[in-house]
Amino acid sequence: MADKRGRRIAERISYSWLGFVVALAVVGPWLPFDAWNTVYDDALAVGPFSGGHLLGTDSNGYDLLLGVVNGARLSILVAVIAVGLGGFIGSALGIFAAYARGRVDSVITTVFNVILSVPNLVLALALVAVFATNIDVTDSVPTWRRVLVLILSLTIVIIPILGRIARAAALAWTGREFVLAAQTMGMRARNIIWTHIVPNVMPALIAVGFLAVGVVIIAEASLSILGVGVPDGASWGAMISRGRNEIDYAPHVVLVPLFFLAVTVICTNHVGDIIRARLDKRQARI
Amino acid sequence: MNPRARRILGRLGNALIVVVAATFAVSMLTRLLPVDLAQVLLPTASDAEREILRAEIGANKDPFTYYLTWLWDFVRGDFGKIYFASGSESVGTRLASAVPRSLLLMLYAQVIALAVAIPLGMWSGYRAGRRADRVISTTLFSFSAVPSFAVGLTLIVVIGVRLQWLPTLGYEPLSAGLWLHISHMIMPALSLSLGLIATYTRLLRADVVATLREDYVTMAASKGLTNTRILWRHVFRPSSLTLFTSAALNMGALIGGAIVVEAVFATYGLGFEVYTALQGRQFVALQSYVAIIAVFYVLFNLVVDEAAGFVDPRTRNRRLNG
Repeated sequence: MADKRGRRIAERISYSWLGFVVALAVVGPWLPFDAWNTVYDDALAVGPFSGGHLLGTDSNGYDLLLGVVNGARLSILVAVIAVGLGGFIGSALGIFAAYARGRVDSVITTVFNVILSVPNLVLALALVAVFATNIDVTDSVPTWRRVLVLILSLTIVIIPILGRIARAAALAWTGREFVLAAQTMGMRARNIIWTHIVPNVMPALIAVGFLAVGVVIIAEASLSILGVGVPDGASWGAMISRGRNEIDYAPHVVLVPLFFLAVTVICTNHVGDIIRARLDKRQARI
Repeated sequence: MNPRARRILGRLGNALIVVVAATFAVSMLTRLLPVDLAQVLLPTASDAEREILRAEIGANKDPFTYYLTWLWDFVRGDFGKIYFASGSESVGTRLASAVPRSLLLMLYAQVIALAVAIPLGMWSGYRAGRRADRVISTTLFSFSAVPSFAVGLTLIVVIGVRLQWLPTLGYEPLSAGLWLHISHMIMPALSLSLGLIATYTRLLRADVVATLREDYVTMAASKGLTNTRILWRHVFRPSSLTLFTSAALNMGALIGGAIVVEAVFATYGLGFEVYTALQGRQFVALQSYVAIIAVFYVLFNLVVDEAAGFVDPRTRNRRLNG
């Protein structure tokens, strides 16, 4: 029993943390804080809990708490949009492939496999590097274009991941009796997909979707560390990559955003796992 | 033709289609650049020099001719050049020293991961449901989600900066001395292995739990063998197949993590080359790196899948619907 209670507490912690981070991301701009890039030149690279800076500052004089709050917005925004868009396109293709079978299926599956043949981070960095290039190194690409390219690249990475899951899940349902019954009664393919297949595939997609959010958050941070992320240092990844230069004398600058990133990703994985476990139980009862 | 040969040929055919399509897409990368490649690679050169470069990299050809010549070069081991203001360097010579280092790093990571995961997985499978198992499972579940660069940076802070036990940057070859080599590799390898440890322990635990229910385990116990002996002699081997298949398949997945970890630790391997190519906007080199990783990844997965099917026929149809 103790085990069950422990698990319930862990569940609550995960949901609360994700809620907290999303809340930071949503209401961040309305909080009565200074801008994240306000320079506090009286407090350079001070540690956490010192003089009005709860999480300390970096050597530019940027407050890390403000950075984390602001970074939550960009990191979560990028992750949610990329997973939402990629999940939508991917699952549409995957379900369509599973329903249509035959040649359509093999073409779509091959396209997924081609995209999956490049490890996801490598694919993302190739796309970002190529599409966010300017002639002159010193002439930086505008932030909005970087963010757009980043989101679209990560979307392309997500499409086959969720697409394959959707296809596999849909395949298990397209052969079921109620789908056959609907077909013989002359129901339109579009309606069958919407009323009989999509609702059944959805839970699996949501579970993997949470995992995918974690993947995208990590990918965004990795790209920043490799120097092709969002350049002006607003996301968690960018904070980590800047903090790396100060690791010798102010390690908290890199540890603070790392902590937020790691806990968030652990929680998205945990929540994805919880949903999947419920799903297994539900399917077992059928 | 017997069904086995036909299946292997089918798989090979599929893999070939994927490789051709992927390399075609990758070869188009430099074509899709929103700017003039020659100007990016040679920012200070004259128009005439850029024209020579364009001819060299085939920027004037139509996409299909370009792909075919690019592929022909690629297959022969000509991976293009890295361009400097003062000249150029062949990507191939760099790869010759970088690839073995990355493979070594991944090998170390795998060895560490297996060395930790096997005892942990055996133990937590043996004590399934008890406290030790619960502690191991929960802790590792959290670790499985933590990205390798986070582990790496934390290690740098604690072991490299605070304790000053290990160097935080660079690579030393084995020929420079065993300890020097190992001391530069421990932290990158550890960062890569933590996530693997979590995955492997989980897999082995599940299989051990299943194997422990087999009749021959009861048989061995009734013969009076000690639990240790039963675990290692009778349970480990049948339980380890999923583990080793997954370990092999993870080699490909490690590549992504290795790039960031190599960038963090400045281990001069393939990942670091990718990083420097990104920094220096060396798109010709980048193109080759991505293509090499993709081809390696596809072929490797194919071989592992076939090998696993060969060792254990039960897994042969496992991935049909995947």
